[in-house]
Amino acid sequence: MTSPAMGNLSGYPETQALVRDVLDVWPDHEDYLARSMGARSDGQMATTEEVAAATRRLIAGRERHFAEGYKWTCDQLRQEELFFHREGRYRLATFADAEAEVYSRPEYMEPYVSGLLLTQALWYNHLGTFDMFLDRVLRPTREPFDYLEIGPGHGLAVFFAAQHPHVRSVAAWDVSATSLAETRKALDTLGVSKPVDLTEVDILSAAEPDQQYDLIVISEVLEHLEQPQTAVRFLKTALKPGGRLFVNVPINSPSPDHIYLFSTPDEVSALVEAAGLTIEASELYATQARPIEKAIKNRISVSVGLTARAA
Amino acid sequence: MNDEAILERLQEIMADVFDEDDLVVTRDTTAEDVEEWDSLSHIRLMVAIEREFNVKFTNAEIESLESVGDLVDKLKAKTS
Ligand SMILES: C[S@@+](CC[C@H](N)C(=O)[O-])C[C@H]1O[C@@H](n2cnc3c(N)ncnc32)[C@H](O)[C@@H]1O
Repeated sequence: MTSPAMGNLSGYPETQALVRDVLDVWPDHEDYLARSMGARSDGQMATTEEVAAATRRLIAGRERHFAEGYKWTCDQLRQEELFFHREGRYRLATFADAEAEVYSRPEYMEPYVSGLLLTQALWYNHLGTFDMFLDRVLRPTREPFDYLEIGPGHGLAVFFAAQHPHVRSVAAWDVSATSLAETRKALDTLGVSKPVDLTEVDILSAAEPDQQYDLIVISEVLEHLEQPQTAVRFLKTALKPGGRLFVNVPINSPSPDHIYLFSTPDEVSALVEAAGLTIEASELYATQARPIEKAIKNRISVSVGLTARAA
Repeated sequence: MNDEAILERLQEIMADVFDEDDLVVTRDTTAEDVEEWDSLSHIRLMVAIEREFNVKFTNAEIESLESVGDLVDKLKAKTS
């Protein structure tokens, strides 16, 4: 790394390589990444390195392509930020709009999905909640568990869950067949040996679950829904008594396909509690590690990680 | 509005957006000089300026206005 601020990456070769892939395409992004990386604790860096290692296997041979998708995505998001701060709301409000403008357009989806994969390791807020999931939710699990994820996308959470020594079954649902195909491809590339059951399901109109789960994960999905409360209420019925729900949702986070605006962490907690779940832990991570109070006041994006339990 | 008055109002807005109460800026101040002035807070800064001065910036202006001097000149042109 040329910048002294990147010096702290010396013990993290995978992270360093991923950062280099991006800076090769986008040298001006160095200050941003230096701050994002520089703010991380040792524990967060250990998770960063694991996520970066998996990410690099997923992008191997197409590093430039993914880095370009990441830059493109960041450019799009800046446009959405502009709208959000001018108007005080997300640009699109219905699933039909998001479908027409984003989901149904491969020329948009392709670079966007590539870009989002890289954000998992590169953005402080995304890594923050992923570290919570891995280190404080998934790994401490000591009993056999059935795992369900809604909207697995890049598949990284499913991948880590499937490797857990006590996992009994792994399932993931997504409304998009294209997205599920991506998840499957990722799991094949990463070499997951446990069977992973991927099913096309719209969480807003899912039938009564025929099985219940010990751990359900819904990450970066609720803000894509017109009625997030319907989804959380359904998930409660899919949890075993004593089962846990891990929710990750960004607030004040404009993105072309974000249609439901959460403005405060309390709104997210209220939604989960209204479904009859008891919150056990919550962690907040602001973009670029900005102080939380200031981030909320200035409407800077904050990722909210919550663990809640069914009675 | 003269340069002085614009600069003064800009300083107040920037202090607020960057959450640095005693921020002091001059015409020569650029994004490089202010720790909190990055590509993301830049967007919030520009929107706050739009509101305060009742102007609208184009995307190209938003991308290029990264020094206080340029901002003062642009605002003078837009508000006169
Ligand atoms: C931004 S991705 C999240 C990927 C990953 N979980 C993460 O944390 O980055 C959102 C995913 O939710 C899925 N999704 C959107 N609406 C859904 C619905 N109504 N039911 C199920 N999945 C949905 C999308 O197809 C997409 O795969």
